[in-house]
Order: sequence, then C-alpha cells, then structure tokens
Amino acid sequence: MSNGQDASSSLYRKDPKVYPRDVSGTFAGLRKLAVVVLLGLYYILPWVNWDGHQSVLFDLPARKFYIFGLTFWPQDFIFLTLMLIIAGLSLFFVTAVAGRLWCGYACPQTVWTEVFLWMERWVEGDRNKRMKLDASPWNANKILRKTAKQVLWIGFALWTGFTFVGFFTPIREFGHSVLTFQTGPWETFWFLFYSFATYGNAGILREQVCKYMCPYARFQSAMFDKDTLVIAYDEARGEPRGGRKKSENPADKGLGDCINCTLCVQVCPTGIDIREGLQIECIACAACIDVCDQVMDKMDYKRGLIKYTTEHNLSGEKTRVVRPRILVYAILLLALISGVVWSINHRVLLRAELLRDRNALYRELPGDLIENVYTLKLINMDSRPHKYKVEVVDNNDITLFISPEPELQPEQVGNFIVRMQAPESAGRGSTKVDVRFSTMEEPVIERTVSARFLMPFD
Amino acid sequence: MRQRDWAVVLWIAFLSAATGFFVLFGLIDPLDMINVWADRFDIGVRLAYGLAFAFLYLLCLLAAALTMFMIRTGPASGHAEGKGRRPIPEVHDPSQSNPDLDDEDWK
Repeated sequence: MSNGQDASSSLYRKDPKVYPRDVSGTFAGLRKLAVVVLLGLYYILPWVNWDGHQSVLFDLPARKFYIFGLTFWPQDFIFLTLMLIIAGLSLFFVTAVAGRLWCGYACPQTVWTEVFLWMERWVEGDRNKRMKLDASPWNANKILRKTAKQVLWIGFALWTGFTFVGFFTPIREFGHSVLTFQTGPWETFWFLFYSFATYGNAGILREQVCKYMCPYARFQSAMFDKDTLVIAYDEARGEPRGGRKKSENPADKGLGDCINCTLCVQVCPTGIDIREGLQIECIACAACIDVCDQVMDKMDYKRGLIKYTTEHNLSGEKTRVVRPRILVYAILLLALISGVVWSINHRVLLRAELLRDRNALYRELPGDLIENVYTLKLINMDSRPHKYKVEVVDNNDITLFISPEPELQPEQVGNFIVRMQAPESAGRGSTKVDVRFSTMEEPVIERTVSARFLMPFD
Repeated sequence: MRQRDWAVVLWIAFLSAATGFFVLFGLIDPLDMINVWADRFDIGVRLAYGLAFAFLYLLCLLAAALTMFMIRTGPASGHAEGKGRRPIPEVHDPSQSNPDLDDEDWK
C-alpha cells in the first residue's frame, strides 16, 4: 500500500447498479444483428461438418487445427500467429477510423452482456420494473422471477462453456460425455471455468469489465485522433437544456434542443451521461443516439443532437478519412493478409523426413555395391489419399528402394524403410543426395529433401 | 518514476522467465520441442534453449508491462472512496417537465 492510504482504504467501491433501459432504433438493430451473427457462428460452427470433420476444431491431442477446408499442422502454427496479428491490426485500423466500433458491437463482453440483458428483460421486465423488483421485499413473485432469471443465465452460461470446449474436443463426442457424466478432468475444468466466466462477466460484472478490467479500453485512446468517429452530444445546439412543451419555442424560453429527459443516461449500459463529454467509460454502443433521435422525432426537432461525429466536425472543421495513420494500418494489413493468403495457398501439403539408420554407416553388398539405410517419415497433409513416387534427383549412380510402396490416406503419417545403393566405384566419403517425393495424382504435390550417402572413406 | 517502473518491469519479467525456464526444461527435453515444432530448421540445442528463453521473456515482459500500464492508467488512490469520480448522473422520469413525453413507452 502506498503512503497515505489508511487501513480502511478499500480496493473497490460498489457502483450503483445500472439498469439499462431497452432501446430500439438503427444502431440497436445493428447490434442485435451483430449479436445474432457472431453468437450464431459461435454456437453453430462446432456442429457443422466440413470435408468429413468438424468445421472448426482445434484438435490439441492430434495437434491438428481444422478451420473449414484448411488443416494446420504444428509446422503451420506461424499462420495462426499471423492471423492473430492480423486480427490485432484490424482492431487498430477499425479503431482509428471508426472509434470503439469493436466495443459497441463485436466484443464478446458486449454481445454476451446483451443476451444476458435480453433474458433479464424477458423475466423481470424493463428498467423500471427491474428497479421496483429489486427494491421490493422478497415475496413469491420476486423469488420466482429471480430464480427463473438465474436458471436461464446459468443454462446459457453452461451452453456457452460447453460450446467453448467443443472447439477443442469433437463436440458430438463431448456432448455424449457430458450426458453420460464421463467428461475428462480438463474438459470438465474448461467447461465449468468458461461457463463461470461467462456468467460472471456478462451477468454480474457487465460494465465493470469495460471500466476496470479491459486493457483495450485503456489504450484505444492512443489510436484516436480528431478525425476518429466518436459519439458526441452537440453541446452548442443542446444547451441550455431544460423541460418544455412541444408547442413551446425553446428560443423563447432561452433553451437549447436538449429537453433534459435523461433518457440518454437511462439507456446507457455503462451508466454515464454522454452530455458531460467524451468519457473513457463510453463503449460507443450508440444506444443514446437511438433514444435521443426518437425524442427529437417526438418533439419535431432535427435528429442528431447526439450523433456519430468527429472532433474536427464538432469544431466546424473538415473531417479527413484518409490520413497517414490510416494509410499505414491499411498498407500493413493488406500486406499481411496478402502474404498469409499467398502462403497458405502455396503450402506444400507433404512433409518428408529422411533419417539415416544409426546402426551402421553403410553396408557392403555382393556385386561391389554400397548400401545406406534410412527411415522415412512421410506425412500426407492433404485431404485426399495419395500414392507417392520417390526418386533420387541428379544422381544416376544411386538406386533407391522403398518398402512398402508409399501410399497414405488423408492426413496420415507413414513410416517406411528406404535403401539406397550405389556401386563402390561411384565415389568416396559422404555425398549429398537429394530425394524427391511426388504424388502420382494430379495436381502433383512434391517436396525434395536432402540426405547424406556414405561410402567407404579409404 | 517512469524509468524506475520500466526497470522493475524488465527485472520482474526476467526473474519470472528464468523461473519458468528452469521449471519448463526440468520437465521437457528441448530436443523433443525441436523435433515437434521446428524440425524444418536445423537448429541446435543451444539455440533452442536461447529461443525458448527469449520467448518466455517476451511473454513475461508483456504481462509485466501490461500490469504496469493497467495500474498507471487505472483508478487513482482514493477512487474507492469516490475521489476523482464523476458524480452519478441525475436521472428522472422523462415526462417530468416534458409533458409531451407522458407516454407509457418513456416511463
């Protein structure tokens, strides 16, 4: 503890509970769409099969990651790393252009909180009813509603945890294990942990996560400039705020367009007043824009008292969309995406490891032949079965024998014995030999690996 | 202050990485890792150790730097008692002083 803090200084003070009022409108509709699409993908994808396997499966025991038609082997993990970097860079790019679009529409915290709020509203009603219910003494109605809400929340959280594990364990098998109480210890841990995290973050903590826990919320302002899209209250137009009748002319009363209905505060999921200016707590969900526009319509005022705008726009200057930082992010992003797409498309879906037999350097065979023996590990990374042709490149002295004939099923790993023979007169000492592996089927997949061929040294 | 903070970050990340390094390689042979993850590159055991430490150090640096950042930009001392906080926004019935909003939807 730093100096000056007494023993009673606490880590945390509970903020008053935020009861966000339901809101409809353009941006609320967009957020609902984002919730349906994103959570739809999350909950449905593990159940969809693709090329005979789960469409998205991070199969850790087999060390193979399936993403639709692509299979990533341990050697391909660089692509996953690059994809993560692309995701991060995309976030920077979107933030620089459009502010906290991620927070308002796509962050898991936002989308799951939204669903938890929907369930809360179905069971307990909208803002005022929820506030009354919480303030009322415990009775049969309150117990029933609170229990129903918890059942829905816990059920949904468990389904979320179950789905999460379903990305790492084939979900149908995992479903069977859950139903028969035969889940493994790690599956059980992650299932319950992710369920608990969902329940805690989306049900209980909600806006506290954005305010106190989220690192992105802290550093996103570094990506902002005066041309970044923000949600702002038009103070020049709105102030002085005050109540009035629709029929009254605000100018006569010395008022601006803000009627001080406080609905923008009531719909805010983080409980702030946007009229106080841009605040770090604002997740740019635009609920205040939707509700304020409705109030403006009701009062026959022009929409846009609260709106998406830029600092430059608010001060009467022109907003520039194309600016150096946007260009830098865009070029980096484009280069990375192109590079990853090109690399994935040009992956060689065949791996070969040719290891010398360690028991003997070479063998002398009748007919003045020298033989070297190798163990070959061949991996078919393709989704089709293949027969392989194996040949020595640019060396007519060496003859290669392989047994059994290499033939591999999709994604199969095979071990084979390779023998190479050369006449004793072919040379002395160690020679580098290139061996080419190629599929018999079109389009040909081929890979060449090198090995050492040893002859007598004297 | 800032320089001292960064020195703490670098030092704590180093200590954590070193601990993690000894625990990790007490349990795992680096050759196994080379065979699985990096066998397309012909790297030796020494380089494998070096790369593994560099990777662990980077991870620990990230964790330590992010922790420093969250503490620096987080609530200041006294926040729990309300110091530096904005007052809770005033909220009332929308129809209060706005009779045209005296509609069930707004209440």
